[in-house]
Amino acid sequence: MLYKDYVKWSRWPTTWCGGCAIGIIFKQVTFSLERMNLPREKLTVVSGIGCSGRAAGYFNVDSVHVTHGRALPVAEGIKRGKPQLNVLVFSGDGDLVGIGGNHLIHTARRNVDLTVICVNNQTYGMTGGQMAPTTGKGIKTLTSPHGNRYSPINIQGLITANESYFYARSSAYHINHLQKAIREAFAWPGFAFIEVVAYCIENFGRRMGYRYGYEMLLKIKEIYKINHSPQGLLKDNELGILKK
Amino acid sequence: MKQLIMGNEAIARGALRAGLGFFAAYPITPASEIMHFLAEKEGEIEFVHAEDEIAAIHMAIGASLAGLKAMTSTSGPGMSLKQEGIGLAHMMEIPLVVVDVQRVGPSTGMPTLPSQGDLIQARHGSHGDYNPLVFYPATVEECYFYTIEAFNAAEESRSPVILLLDGFLAHLSETVDLRAVKPHLKRRKLKPLGGGNRHFTGLLAREGVPLTDDSDYYRQWYTRVKNKIMTVACQYNYFEFLDNPQADTLLIAFGITARVIRPLKKAYGLFRPIRLFPVLEKELSQAAANYDRIVVIEMNDGQYAGEVQRVLRREVISLPILGGKIHLREIQEALNAL
Repeated sequence: MLYKDYVKWSRWPTTWCGGCAIGIIFKQVTFSLERMNLPREKLTVVSGIGCSGRAAGYFNVDSVHVTHGRALPVAEGIKRGKPQLNVLVFSGDGDLVGIGGNHLIHTARRNVDLTVICVNNQTYGMTGGQMAPTTGKGIKTLTSPHGNRYSPINIQGLITANESYFYARSSAYHINHLQKAIREAFAWPGFAFIEVVAYCIENFGRRMGYRYGYEMLLKIKEIYKINHSPQGLLKDNELGILKK
Repeated sequence: MKQLIMGNEAIARGALRAGLGFFAAYPITPASEIMHFLAEKEGEIEFVHAEDEIAAIHMAIGASLAGLKAMTSTSGPGMSLKQEGIGLAHMMEIPLVVVDVQRVGPSTGMPTLPSQGDLIQARHGSHGDYNPLVFYPATVEECYFYTIEAFNAAEESRSPVILLLDGFLAHLSETVDLRAVKPHLKRRKLKPLGGGNRHFTGLLAREGVPLTDDSDYYRQWYTRVKNKIMTVACQYNYFEFLDNPQADTLLIAFGITARVIRPLKKAYGLFRPIRLFPVLEKELSQAAANYDRIVVIEMNDGQYAGEVQRVLRREVISLPILGGKIHLREIQEALNAL
């Protein structure tokens, strides 16, 4: 199967803005599916709410777009109901870590065999650019007009606190690394979580002085370095795959 | 074979009889025994003690999409949380059974005392317009039978069906012969996930394509879904009517309240709706036609009385029994004072 066969072209064009990172990540997922040659009938995609939440509808498979934060419990129900399906959760940081945070902790603890792609753009883009739990300290948003007073949530810590885990951090820039992480996540027999560092130009980056999406993409290239054999946890500027 | 079992256990057994494949819930008084009983069946069914009420109903939605008959159970505080999932299941047209064993609210209220205060929540709890099927049994055997019927109605209507009972009935033990109950089981119509390119979404959508600014389509969609539920509801016109030609007053009650007032049948007509919603409009109107006075007795402050008044378009007297305590003598005195 070609990557194009996993895309529901009838839904084109997508709702995503020009310069958005989600399209890049979506494409890497379909490339990975092609490389794994995963039959369409063995895949289902679940998304929550938000810009990334629209992804489920763009996959040419049976897919589900649920309420805000509830992608993981719905995915768990599907996996338990039909274990032969590969269940991919494609959603955003606000959805999975913010409103769905409790489900994230417990689905990871139960080690449900899901592959989760968390597009972390550090903001609530669809609703206009409010502060997310992943927003960096000091950053100005609609709900932190004087600068975010809080430190961002430590997703790596949440996932790796479990007895067994798969946690990868990759980015919308490092696409080969991202594809590798996706393939390994699908192969992992348990809960596999990929945090993909992304960005939102329209409702986040512009307020920080970026003019174009690719400026933000290059900023990711500048900040993040791949650690191919991490010892212990990843540093804040590192990308890598942690498995136990 | 006769057995002594409690209402909650009868619900769990009814669900298994109906073909339950998935159950998720969160512990809550007075519904926990449903969970306890089904936890023992882990392996035969998929069972999850979920992290919260919201997760439980969404897992049930997922399992139903994957092809299993699914149920979740709770009490009032959990029912408030589950409303999000109930709305989603209505929008995506997912069959599901939600059991609500009512206790005195609002909020944490009086956890161990029974109530009938979740009627409007069961009917209108989620935002937007929808038309849920709601059943309310009154005996342990009925708990068993109407759980099965709730599954049947859910499959036929492709919607979340709500089974209401009160903490009293849930914990009431009665001798029943469940094998003597011969239900007819409805099969799953919804094709399980996998193999297609369907898209299920909480957005307004036509064949999986969101149409979020098409008002005309919303109207068509709403009419279709409402008609679908009303058509299915007609096959579940469950009620009990003890007509009394000598009486001038008709008492309307359901669940444990209907059982408590049963000794009054010599002096009053008694009507017990079992399908609470959609309201049995025709049956209620016919039953009420020959009575001068209509009194609705319920363990809340007139929630169903308002519905009955709306349907009958005449004065309906509400007799609320509040605080989780119910005595026939108290009711009789209140009726005499009318």
